[in-house]
Amino acid sequence: MKLAKILAAGAILTVIAGTASAYDADWKRGRIYYRSVCTSCHAASPVGSINPSTKTKAEWTAYLQADKHAKGKDTVSGYVSKAYRAKIKSGNKAAEKFADTPDAELAADIKAFLIKGAKDGDSPATCS
Amino acid sequence: MRTAITRAALLLFCAGLLAATGPALAEEAKPEPKAVKLTTTADHSKFKQLQKAFASGPEVTKACLECHTEAAGQIHRTKHWKWEYLNPATNQKLGKKNVLNNYCISIAANQAACTNCHVGYGWKDNNFDFTKEENVDCLVCHDTTGNYRKVPGSGGQAFGKDTEFPPGSGKIVKGIDLAKISQKVGKTSRDTCGGCHFNGGGGDGVKHGDLDSSMATPEKELDVHMDAVGLDFTCATCHKTSSHDVAGSRYAPTAKDDKGVQTRGKPGSGNPATCVACHGNGPHKKEARLNNHATKIACQTCHIPTFARGGIPTKMEWDWSTSGKVDANGKQFVKRDEKKRIIYESRKGDFKLGENVVPEYAWFNGHVEYTLLTDKIEKGPQRTPINKLGGSAADGKSMIWPMKVFRGTQPYDPVNKTLVTPHTTGPDGYWNTLVWDKAIEEGMKDSGQPFSGKVDFVNTVMSWPITHMVAPKNKALGCADCHSKQSRLAGITGIYIPVRDNNTLVDTLGWSIVLLTLLGVLGHGALRIVTGRKH
Amino acid sequence: MSERIYVFKRFERFWHWSQAALIIFLMLTAFDIHGTYTIFGFEKAVAYHTIAAWTLIGLWVFAIFWHFTTGEWKQYIPTTEKVVAMMNYYLFGIFKNAPHPFRLTTLRKHNPLQRLAYLFILVCVGPLLWVTGGLYLFYDKWEALGLSGLSLEWVATGHVIGAFMMLAFLIAHVYLTTAGHTPMAHIKAMITGWEEVD
Repeated sequence: MKLAKILAAGAILTVIAGTASAYDADWKRGRIYYRSVCTSCHAASPVGSINPSTKTKAEWTAYLQADKHAKGKDTVSGYVSKAYRAKIKSGNKAAEKFADTPDAELAADIKAFLIKGAKDGDSPATCS
Repeated sequence: MRTAITRAALLLFCAGLLAATGPALAEEAKPEPKAVKLTTTADHSKFKQLQKAFASGPEVTKACLECHTEAAGQIHRTKHWKWEYLNPATNQKLGKKNVLNNYCISIAANQAACTNCHVGYGWKDNNFDFTKEENVDCLVCHDTTGNYRKVPGSGGQAFGKDTEFPPGSGKIVKGIDLAKISQKVGKTSRDTCGGCHFNGGGGDGVKHGDLDSSMATPEKELDVHMDAVGLDFTCATCHKTSSHDVAGSRYAPTAKDDKGVQTRGKPGSGNPATCVACHGNGPHKKEARLNNHATKIACQTCHIPTFARGGIPTKMEWDWSTSGKVDANGKQFVKRDEKKRIIYESRKGDFKLGENVVPEYAWFNGHVEYTLLTDKIEKGPQRTPINKLGGSAADGKSMIWPMKVFRGTQPYDPVNKTLVTPHTTGPDGYWNTLVWDKAIEEGMKDSGQPFSGKVDFVNTVMSWPITHMVAPKNKALGCADCHSKQSRLAGITGIYIPVRDNNTLVDTLGWSIVLLTLLGVLGHGALRIVTGRKH
Repeated sequence: MSERIYVFKRFERFWHWSQAALIIFLMLTAFDIHGTYTIFGFEKAVAYHTIAAWTLIGLWVFAIFWHFTTGEWKQYIPTTEKVVAMMNYYLFGIFKNAPHPFRLTTLRKHNPLQRLAYLFILVCVGPLLWVTGGLYLFYDKWEALGLSGLSLEWVATGHVIGAFMMLAFLIAHVYLTTAGHTPMAHIKAMITGWEEVD
């Protein structure tokens, strides 16, 4: 079980870091998850929602690689994980819809959306 | 012997252990099955034709046509390509090329800018070659990356490499990776259709009111069908397309579809985009009475309680007559409201915006007649209709429809008594010069119509049937929204609507009789008490 | 000296009071639907009004059966006898402590004015309400029933006229219950079945 976790985490990191992977990231799926899960929670908490266009591609890449959420209190990948989706899926349609999406794929999707919507990305995006 | 048995047992035990843990480990270690794209049978990145650098859009199209040999020919037959439509009911020649509206008015002499939303490359003026196959823009509809861009002002061109544009301006337009985009082509999506249809009228949500960028990833509340984490319909789910000809038309809409569900093999109304095409004519399971309502009331009337619900305002009024003001430095300026939304522009005039707009309602039978450049108009107390919608309670073909009614004040020719098509875009367009007569002269010349040189302004009105942003059923209108004195259908004539149309004479007489009876018995009772009846 | 006679039988009393409750509830929901005030709101008021109407129809099935099997329907046969005397009593006599011109028996428990009023409700107001109400309820079946020539406006207006007449009747009826032997005599009789007569 532990081994599986490590392997999965490794896979996420590999994909987030953008190294060799056959997976073709779906920025649209990333967009839905970002808006429906990240933004819906952020909008209510003190930090507020964060537009993808507030960071550059390099900044987003570094942020995802560091995998530190809330200044290191927990991890970003945790909020993308199947376990987290399972936890919130009763109240979050996006988490429900993507409940069975492999962690690594969803993480890559979100990264694709953030890179695309970054300040210097192909189409700077807002969070809603 | 004994040890042999023990050994064998131990071996069996170990094997069992392995077998028990084996599958779990094997699952982790087993290589993923070959990734297969389930949305398409062809991975375009594998095609040699697309594995090269493309400098321009037409180069990509030529590559597409190597396999999709008939695609351009199909496109050439559509409204999306021709921007021309002959309405068989009125014989009016319509289409974007011919109609005008009370937003940015018309494309005459503005083709280079307007055709940013044409499914083609290079329509800069009336000399555009509509027969050239490579002029078809495949990517604008089939892009999945969201990175495809047509360059504004260029007649809808896409640049594959950094290009100076306008030529000689010194400004460099960054090229886009056309190879990558073409390798990832796929089906149309809310994003691709929305690229133009969300931005009609020159900006997000401006024109339609029921289509704006909030519909790219709508929530259920905003659109029950397109709900990105729910049914997730694309535009083409309803606007079922065959041979590249997209179903559903604003020029000849289906106002009343009584042909029921369009099951396979059944012809139905011929328009697969109607609500009825899927839901049938009696969709209300619990309340049969509502099905009866649905014989006179379009589904949209109750199920789209308001439009522009996604947080993006739509334009409701546009007054061109106040345009042309400049600031102290002689420069154009803009005014914004408290929400930072533009409500005045020197080049455009005053705007009124609306969000969560309650539609206006009208009988509509699908018959639309446009006021074209060749039609005479009179400036009077009534607004000049840009489009006249047919319909009445009595014709048997009409339904009550929700409308975005857009009111404008726009230039016209008071001598020839016609609407006009000003040249607005580009360096010598009105938006840059703020000089009307020159701009109109040029535009009318492009339209091939006379212009007297005199400019006045006329109040106009245009109706847009509302059909998107369908709310979940618990957000549909309730009875009292219409069955009340403050009825939403206050302006609908020709039918009796209980409560709205209570007979005031009967009410007055009725309450008088009730009141007199009450006074009578009270008086009688009082007299009995005064006269001191013993009982 | 007064004597007591048993005028209202158990079913009759049950019928009267449940009918009273239903009619008052129908009135309450009626004018809610009509837009005079909002208690339940149009949508719920229509639903409740419809349920109450069907309940009342059910009650009437029993009441009609009862009236015919017991012969009580004869109580509603109009008579001109003593009508003038009754009017005189309500207009003048009642204030002078004059004796009630009508002496009720188990066979004639309604005074001549009552007979007329109830008959009017029975043959005019009632049918008007039932017919228009029924048509209203089955508006969506008009075409199937071959009634498409009917005007909803006329049906609706007829129903409203009936409602006003019923309301006026209700007011007069409630008031006249106090015009008995003693102010509470009729009401007591309707509850217990026993009426005191002089």
